[in-house]
Amino acid sequence: MITALFYKEWIKTRRILLLSLLVLAALMIYIFINVEQMFRINGATQVWTETILKDISVLTGIQWLPLILSILFGVSQFVPEMSNKRLKLTLHLPMSENRIMFSMLAFGLSGLLILYAITCIAIIGGLRIYYPQEIVLSMIESSLPWFLAGLAGYLFTAWICIEPVWRQRVFNTLIAAYALSFFMMSAKGGAYMPFIPYLLATIIVAHFFSFYSMYRFKDGSQ
Amino acid sequence: MENIIACENITHYYGSRLIYENLNFEVKKGKILGLLGKNGTGKTTIINILNGYLKPRSGECRIFQEKMQNLSPATKASIGLLLEGHIQHTFFNVRQIEKFYRQFYPNWKAGAYYELLKKLQVSETQRISAMSCGQRSQIALGLLFAQDPDLLILDDFSMGLDPGYRRLFVQYLKEYASEGNKTIFLTSHIIQDMEMLIDDCIILDYGRILLHKPTDYILNHFKRYSFYASATEIKATDKLWNPEKTGNTWEVYSFSPKDEIQQILEPYDIANLKEEKLSLEDAFIGLTGKY
Repeated sequence: MITALFYKEWIKTRRILLLSLLVLAALMIYIFINVEQMFRINGATQVWTETILKDISVLTGIQWLPLILSILFGVSQFVPEMSNKRLKLTLHLPMSENRIMFSMLAFGLSGLLILYAITCIAIIGGLRIYYPQEIVLSMIESSLPWFLAGLAGYLFTAWICIEPVWRQRVFNTLIAAYALSFFMMSAKGGAYMPFIPYLLATIIVAHFFSFYSMYRFKDGSQ
Repeated sequence: MENIIACENITHYYGSRLIYENLNFEVKKGKILGLLGKNGTGKTTIINILNGYLKPRSGECRIFQEKMQNLSPATKASIGLLLEGHIQHTFFNVRQIEKFYRQFYPNWKAGAYYELLKKLQVSETQRISAMSCGQRSQIALGLLFAQDPDLLILDDFSMGLDPGYRRLFVQYLKEYASEGNKTIFLTSHIIQDMEMLIDDCIILDYGRILLHKPTDYILNHFKRYSFYASATEIKATDKLWNPEKTGNTWEVYSFSPKDEIQQILEPYDIANLKEEKLSLEDAFIGLTGKY
C-alpha cells in the first residue's frame, strides 16, 4: 500500500523533480565554469586568498535554491490534494490516516534528500579538481543550513497547504517565514555548526505540523 | 435486519446557523436509501459527518458499528465513497488510477472498471483532467465497482451529468444493488433518478428530517388534491401539506385518503375535489413547498 501511495506522489511530483534536477545541474555547470574561469584569469594565488582569507565561497549562488525547489515540490504534492478537497479521497484509503500522512511526507523528504545528495556529490566531485578536500568540506558545511532550510521549507509548505482555513494559512505562513529566517542568516564559514542541532530539531518539530492540519481538515474546520 | 449506518442525535451548526438538531436515522443492510432536500438543508454535510470529515456539534454516527471519526482500514475498505462532482485524482490517466487503487483492495475487480470504460471514447493513457464531467463520472463509478464495497456512499451522483450518463449511472447502480447485501446511501438533486432506484427516502427540511418512509409508501399514499374554493386562507396542518391558491383553484398535498380530505375541507365550502397520483419529484415539492 505504501508503494501505491509513493506511486501517486511520484505521478504528481515527477515533473517538478525533473525540473529541479535540471536546474541544479545547470547551476553546478555554471559554478564549475566560473571556478575554472577564476583560476584561469585571476590565478591560483588570488583564488586561494579569497577563499581562505576572505572566506568567499563559490557556492553562495545556490543559497536560496534548495528552499525554493522544496517549496515548489511541496506545492506540487499538496495543492492537488487540497483542490476540491481531494484529500478526502486519500484519507479514505484503507490505511490509518497517520500512516497515510507519514508516507506522503516520507516520500517528499526522501525525494529532496536524494536531490540534495546528488547535488552535494556533484559539488564535492567537481570542486575537488580545484580545491583541497578541507576547503571543499568547509564549503559543504557552510551550505548545510541551506539544504536543511529546504527540508524545513518542504514541511512548512505541506503544513500550510493542508491547513483548511485561509486565515490560519496566512498565520502559518508568517510562522514558517520566521522559522526559516534562522536557516538563512549570513555567517562566517563553519559558524553555523553549533546551531545545526537546533535546526534539525526545528525540522523534526515541523514534521508534526502537517498532522495537526490534517486533524483540522478531518474535523471540518472552516 | 442489521444497521449498516446509524446516526444518533446529530446536531450541527455552521457558525450560528443551525443545520440539524437531534437528527436520527439508520440504514439497514441491503437497502438503498436516498437523502433528498433543498439546497442548503445539509445533504453533503451529513455525508461529511458519516465519513468522519466533519465533527458535529454533538451526536454520533456509526458505520458497520464503528464510530465515524475512527473508521478502521478494514471498514474503510468496505465503503465506496463518491464525492460531490465525481471528484477524483485528475493527475492520473485512466490506467494509472486503476493501478493505484488496485493495490489497496484485495478483492479488486479490474474487469468491472475496464468493462465500464469500454463505453467511453477514451484511451487508457488519457489524463482524467482532460475528460468531460460525464466521462469522469464513469471513471469514478468504474473504480467503485472494481472496489466492490459493501456500502456505497454517493454524494449528488447526478451532478453535471447529461440524461444519458445519468441513466447509465442509475442502471449500473441497480445492477450493483441487485447482487444482494449491498447497501447504498445517496443524495441527488435530480429526484426522477432516485425514484427508479431507492427503497427508502429521507426528506430533509432546514434543521430536521421532514419524512423518513419507504419510497413505495410515499408514491402510493401521498396525493395532490385540487379543488375550487373562495376561501382566502387554508391553514396547513399535519394532514394538509402546503396549501396553495392559484386563481380560484387550491392545491393541497396529503397522506390522507380522499374521503378524509373531503371532510377536513368541508368548512371551506369546496367544490370539484380531484385526487392526483404523484411522482417522487412532485411528492418532494408537496412536502417541502416550492420555495
